[in-house]
Amino acid sequence: MIDFERFTLANGLKVIVHRDTSTPMACVNILYDVGARDEDPERTGFAHLFEHLMFGGSVNIPDYDNVLQQAGGENNAFTSNDITNYYLTLPAVNLEVAFWLESDRMLSLAFSDKSLEVQRNVVIEEFKQSYLNQPYGDIWLEIPKLAYKVHPYLWPTIGKNIDHIKYAVMDDVKAFFKKFYCPNNAILAVSGNITVEEVKRLCEKWFAPIPMGNPPKRNLPVEPTQTEPRKLELERDVPASAIYKLYHMGKRVDKNFYTMELVADILTDGNASRLYVELVKNQKLFSEINAFTYESLDPGIFIVTGKLLDGITLEQADAAIQKEIAKLSVAEVQKDELEKAKNKVEAQHVFAEISILNKAMNLAIFELLGGAENANKEVEKFFSVSEKDILNDASSLLNEPNCSTLYYRSKPKV
Amino acid sequence: MPTEIMLDRKTMPGLALESKIDIIEAQNYTLPNGIPVYYVNAGTQDVIKIEVIFRAGSREQDVPLVAGSTNAMLEEGTKKHTSEEIASLLDYYGSFLETSVQQDYASVTIYTLGKHLDKALPILEELIKEPSFPQSELELYLHNNKQRFLVDEQKVRVVAAKNFPALLFGETHPYGHRTKLEEYDGVKKEYLEAFHKKYYSAGNCAIIAAGRVNDTLLNKLGDYFGKESTNQKSQFATHNYEPHSSAEKINFIPKKDAMQSAIRMGRVLFHKTHPDAIPFQILNTILGGYFGSRLMSNIREDKGYTYGINSSVVFLQHAGYFNIGSEVGSTVCNAALVEIYKELERLCTEPVPADELQLVKNYLRGNFMRSMDGPFALADRFKHIWLHNMDYSYYEKYVDALGTITAKELMEMANKYLQKDSMYELVVGAKGK
Repeated sequence: MIDFERFTLANGLKVIVHRDTSTPMACVNILYDVGARDEDPERTGFAHLFEHLMFGGSVNIPDYDNVLQQAGGENNAFTSNDITNYYLTLPAVNLEVAFWLESDRMLSLAFSDKSLEVQRNVVIEEFKQSYLNQPYGDIWLEIPKLAYKVHPYLWPTIGKNIDHIKYAVMDDVKAFFKKFYCPNNAILAVSGNITVEEVKRLCEKWFAPIPMGNPPKRNLPVEPTQTEPRKLELERDVPASAIYKLYHMGKRVDKNFYTMELVADILTDGNASRLYVELVKNQKLFSEINAFTYESLDPGIFIVTGKLLDGITLEQADAAIQKEIAKLSVAEVQKDELEKAKNKVEAQHVFAEISILNKAMNLAIFELLGGAENANKEVEKFFSVSEKDILNDASSLLNEPNCSTLYYRSKPKV
Repeated sequence: MPTEIMLDRKTMPGLALESKIDIIEAQNYTLPNGIPVYYVNAGTQDVIKIEVIFRAGSREQDVPLVAGSTNAMLEEGTKKHTSEEIASLLDYYGSFLETSVQQDYASVTIYTLGKHLDKALPILEELIKEPSFPQSELELYLHNNKQRFLVDEQKVRVVAAKNFPALLFGETHPYGHRTKLEEYDGVKKEYLEAFHKKYYSAGNCAIIAAGRVNDTLLNKLGDYFGKESTNQKSQFATHNYEPHSSAEKINFIPKKDAMQSAIRMGRVLFHKTHPDAIPFQILNTILGGYFGSRLMSNIREDKGYTYGINSSVVFLQHAGYFNIGSEVGSTVCNAALVEIYKELERLCTEPVPADELQLVKNYLRGNFMRSMDGPFALADRFKHIWLHNMDYSYYEKYVDALGTITAKELMEMANKYLQKDSMYELVVGAKGK
C-alpha cells in the first residue's frame, strides 16, 4: 500500500507525493507523456535521442549531472514506446536542488550544437551495442514491424535505423521540446523522507512559473485485427536457432493484461512452469523458454520465445509450443496453478515497495493510466482473474491467426 | 510573471550535507551449534532475506565448473523432492531463491514474505543439506549452459571480461581461470557430491538475515540449521595467490566484422584491508566510477565514441584488481585507447581541481547513504566487510576520508598505481586503423 497525496499546479503539472520516513533519501520522478509512438515515421528514434539531450544543459544550468552529483544525487532515464521517464535519488535534505534542476530543464534547454552532435554518436553506439553487435540483437528491430502494420509500435524505441538518428537536426530538437516538454504534459512524483508541505512550497516556487504548453492530442492509427498467421524467417550467424511467437493482446489497463501476465507466469516462470517442465525438461527441445507481455499503453503483444537445442527443427519447436498453448484453451488451469501465480505477483509487489524509487515511478505511471490510486489496486486486480478468464482469453488470443512467428535460423556451419 | 522575475534560477540552492551518516549495524547471534548469524532488523515491509554462505567458491574447486554446478544444482532435486516440486513449493507462497557463486564463496538465499517464513525455511534447509544432484537434471544444466557459453562467445564484452582476469593473474591462478567449452563435459555427478559434502557443512557456514528479523526468526534458524555438529571443519587446499600476470601487456583477440570492440584495461592491486584501498577507490571514482567521471566525460560526452565507459576496483579475499571496461566503435578503438591513457596520465601529473574533488566527495557521500538504504542494502554492506574480516570501522574511515582526502594524496595514489606502463590492455574485436 502506497499512501500519497496529489495536487495540480495552475499550469497543469500533476504532482504526487509519497512520504516514507524510514529512509534519509528522496526520489524525484518526472514522467513526460511522450514516447516513440509519438514520432514522425520518417524521424524515428527521436524521443530517445531527445532523452539524451535532456542532459546536455538547460537554459540556466550548463551541466545537469555535475550539479546533481554535488548534491550527492544520482539519476537516470528511460524512453519507451509510450513515455519518457526521468528519475533521480538524492539525500532528502537536498531536495530543492532536484526541483531547481528539473524545473529548469522543463522551462527550456540550452540547445547546444555540441551536445546534439555528441549524443547522436552516443546513441549510434548504443544502437550498435544493443542491436547490431551482439548475437540475436537485431530481433528487436524485426519483431515490431512483424506484429504491427500501421500503429507506430511498428518501430523500436531506438529507431528504425541509424540514419534517422544521424540526420536529426537542431530544429527538430527545438520543435520536439516545444511540443511535448511542458508542465501540462508531465507528471511529477516525489517520494521519500519529505513532507507534502515542503513539496508544495517547492512546486510553487520552481514549477508554477513555467508557462503551460499546448501538447497535441494523441490520435494514433489503430492497428487492424490480425486475421491470418504471419511468418518471417531470418538466417543469422548464431549458435542456436530461436523462435518468437507474438500474439496481439489488450492494453495495460485492459482486463486481459492481468490474465496474460498470469498466463506468462504459468507458462514459463520457474522450474515448475508448464513450458519449462514439458519442453525444456521432458521433451528437451529448448535450452531456454520465456513468455512475457509487452506492457504497453496501447494494445500490446504477448511473446513466447525459446532457443532451440541442437538437432531440433524450428517447425518441431513451433508445433510443440502451439500444442502446449492450445491446452489453455481446452481446459481451465488448475486452481493451485493460478493461486501460485497470484501469490507470486503479490510477493513481487511487496518487495518492490521497499524502494522509494519504485514507488515514485509506479505512482507516476498509474497517474498517467488514469489515477495513481490504481497502483494500490493492482494486486486485487490480479486476484480477481478466474480460471474461466484464462480459458476465455487464451482461446481468443493465443491462436495462430492472431500470431506472428519469427524463425531465427542459425546459419549452418560450413 | 512577477515570481519568475524574482526567482533566481542561476544559483544553486544551498546544500545541506549532513555531517553524520547513521549506519544500522548488523547484530550477532549464534545458533546452538555455533553457526554465526548476522542480522539487520530494519525496513517497513514484511519481507525477509536469508542468505546462507559457505566458503565454497570457485577457487576451491579441483575441476573447473564444479563449484558453480554444485551451487546451481542445489535447487534441482533433493532426497525428498524433485526440481519441479521444490519450485512449486516456493512459488506457491511467492518466495524465491537465489543461488550464487563467487570466487571466494557460494551462497543460497531465500526471499520471502514474513507471513510465509514457515513454508520457506524447510525448503531452504532441505536443499542445502540433502541435495540429490539428479543425473538427468545435471545433464540438462550442463547442456543448456554450454549453449549459453556459445552465445556469450560472440559477445565482445563477455569475451573480454572472461579473458581479463587470466591476463592479470595467470590461467592457473585460483582467480584467473578462463572457462572453456570442453570443460562442461568434465563435470560429473560424483564431483558435485564430493564438493557438497566437503564444503556445504555446518562447520563452514554463516547466515546473514535482513528485513523483519525478530526472535522468532532467530529461534527458527536454530531449529533448521542449529543441530548439526560444527566440529567437522572443511579441509581447504592451500592455494598460491601470487599473481602470474601475462608477459604481454598489450593483448588483442580479433573478432571478424565487429562493429564495436570491447576494451579492458587494468592491473593487479591490493586487498581491501590495504591502507591505500580507500583513497584508491576515491581516485577510481574520479577516473571512471560515476556518470560524471573523466572517462565518461571525455570518451562518451565529449567524443561520442561509446555508449558507456567505467572503471572499477574489485576486492577478493586474497587479491584486488582495477579495471576499465567499455565497448567502443571499432573505427575509433585506437583513438579511445589514446584518450584512456591520457586520462591516466592527467591524474598522475595534474592535481585534481578543488571543485571536482568537492563534487566527487559529495557524490560519494550521497552514494554511501544510498548504499545503506533499506534492510537488504544494509545486509550487503555488512557482508562486504565481513568477507574481508573487517568491521564497521572500515566505513567510518571511508566517510572520514571523504571529508579529508586531498588532491595531493590522490596524485600520489595515481603515480603509485596508474602509470601507463603498469597497465594491461585487452581489446576484443577490431582495432581499426
